Amino acid sequence: MKRSGLWLLALVLLSALAFGLGSYQNDVYRKLLLWITLALGYNFLFGIAGQVAFSHFSFYGLGAYSVVIGITYFGWPLPVALLASVVFCVAVALAVAIPATRLEGFYLALATLAFAQLFIVLLNEGGQITGGTGGLASYRLPDIAGYRIQGPAYTVVIVVLMLSTLAVLWRLDRSHFGRACRAARDNPEAAAAMGVDVRRTRIVAYTLTSALAGLAGMVYAFVDNTVNPTIFGLENVFLLLFMIIIGGIGRAAGAVVGAILLYLLPFVLSPLIGHHHALVFGLVMVLVVLFQPKGLMGLWDAWRDRSRSVAPGTGPVPAKGLPHG
Amino acid sequence: MAEAPALLQVRRLTRRFGGLVAVSGLDMSVYPGEILGLIGPNGAGKSTSFAMMAGAIEPSAGEIFFEGQSLSGLPTHAFAARGIVRTFQHNKPFDSMSIEENVMVGMHTHVPVSMWQVVLGTAQAKAHEKQAREQARHWIDFVGLGEYAHADVQTLSFGQGRLLEIARGLAAKPKLMLFDEPAAGLTAAECLRLADIIRGIAAQGIAVLLIEHDMPFLMALAQRVVVLNFGEKIAEGTPTQVQADPAVVAAYLGQVKVDHA
Repeated sequence: MKRSGLWLLALVLLSALAFGLGSYQNDVYRKLLLWITLALGYNFLFGIAGQVAFSHFSFYGLGAYSVVIGITYFGWPLPVALLASVVFCVAVALAVAIPATRLEGFYLALATLAFAQLFIVLLNEGGQITGGTGGLASYRLPDIAGYRIQGPAYTVVIVVLMLSTLAVLWRLDRSHFGRACRAARDNPEAAAAMGVDVRRTRIVAYTLTSALAGLAGMVYAFVDNTVNPTIFGLENVFLLLFMIIIGGIGRAAGAVVGAILLYLLPFVLSPLIGHHHALVFGLVMVLVVLFQPKGLMGLWDAWRDRSRSVAPGTGPVPAKGLPHG
Repeated sequence: MAEAPALLQVRRLTRRFGGLVAVSGLDMSVYPGEILGLIGPNGAGKSTSFAMMAGAIEPSAGEIFFEGQSLSGLPTHAFAARGIVRTFQHNKPFDSMSIEENVMVGMHTHVPVSMWQVVLGTAQAKAHEKQAREQARHWIDFVGLGEYAHADVQTLSFGQGRLLEIARGLAAKPKLMLFDEPAAGLTAAECLRLADIIRGIAAQGIAVLLIEHDMPFLMALAQRVVVLNFGEKIAEGTPTQVQADPAVVAAYLGQVKVDHA
């Protein structure tokens, strides 16, 4: 009960914020929420399931493009287009995951990089269906039950998307599935000996997080009412990687903090250094990897432990020797 | 012992690595609730036999039956689901998790709820999670790691890590537990404690098979011993019988006695 109250409070507060912002701020806010959503999914895939995959933005694009193509090219009603897009994203994710999860680490990274590049090529060469390099524009969200959802109301849709993604991944992380994902990452041999089907676990984690990215893409399609290949390129998946590493890999809170920080940083930095914020990101990344591999969440943990162990005798007791009791 | 049907039955088990025959035509059985030692000099094929019984590698020929059913062609993870669980000689904990979570992974094959129930946060999913935690606590207490339940795995000593492997295995509710040199790397006091734990496991009706280099440890613990040499079984019997067997003495025990002199 208390937990569901918290979710409701977050929903109300984050939604209320949308109504207090102007249209430009709403646009920034929406994209921030989408980045958080993507970072949460990527954190599960990369940080928890330990799969070094670079296809997350491709699925974001796949979701966006497929829903737009559904309503414009095929003229489907919105619910049909959404459902078809979800099915399509899941099918593509399975098609990538089933061969790719045989591969580990470096090879999975290469396979998904190739997929991400192929996706961009297909978008550029897709002719009338994908709109080529210019992408698709001049469409809008169809009315839902006679209502036109726009402005802050559409921001609420994104708030719901972000919170649902968080809730789903939060629950999975704290379940047998989350433990199986971590076990398969930490030690696949021991995981298999404990009855975890390592390959299946990896396929499910990949497909699930890719489908969530696709869902976010479907929502994104009606934010700018235009989709084009440059948005879904590799540059952004690396930004996503920076977000979860700087925030603290494997931690949902880290993904949120990292996404907020790296998305808003250019707004602060660009008056000072123009478009060179990528340099700052790169530098921060190097420093984090070298000195704080657990990211900002690691700093937070260290601070919390220190303030706890101020009281004598309450600090963590180091375990030594075998207990004889 | 022989009146009960065998839990695990190994028939003509053979494993070749290229031209090398590591295990050749091995026949042996493990019965419920017994402690069986599998011994042999280095290169005798005990680790290879162990790996086949644990489902880590596939036999080149021969078959393994568990509760009368063939295990041929099953993937490693299916062995745990059938009730065969192993420990590792070099501890293989899940480093990013607490002791409690490590043990909870052991319950993976007994999870009664689906991912969808977890996502929807159903009452069953919550009840299972709570119950899993309680069961994990039970096994953590059983091996004597109670005070470390929420600690990180990295804070454990090597001996404690071995106990964690056992708790994690027990959480899988095994019918047969395979121990890969459980005494290796432990202090004398830790070995005594380990022997007690293994006897406690067998007392619950779980069959125990161990491969071990520490002869005094094994001979005091095992009720029955199978001896391998050059991939073939050369003797089988009680610890007293095999220690008196001339073939065994020649192949192995004599050498060990010299080592310990």
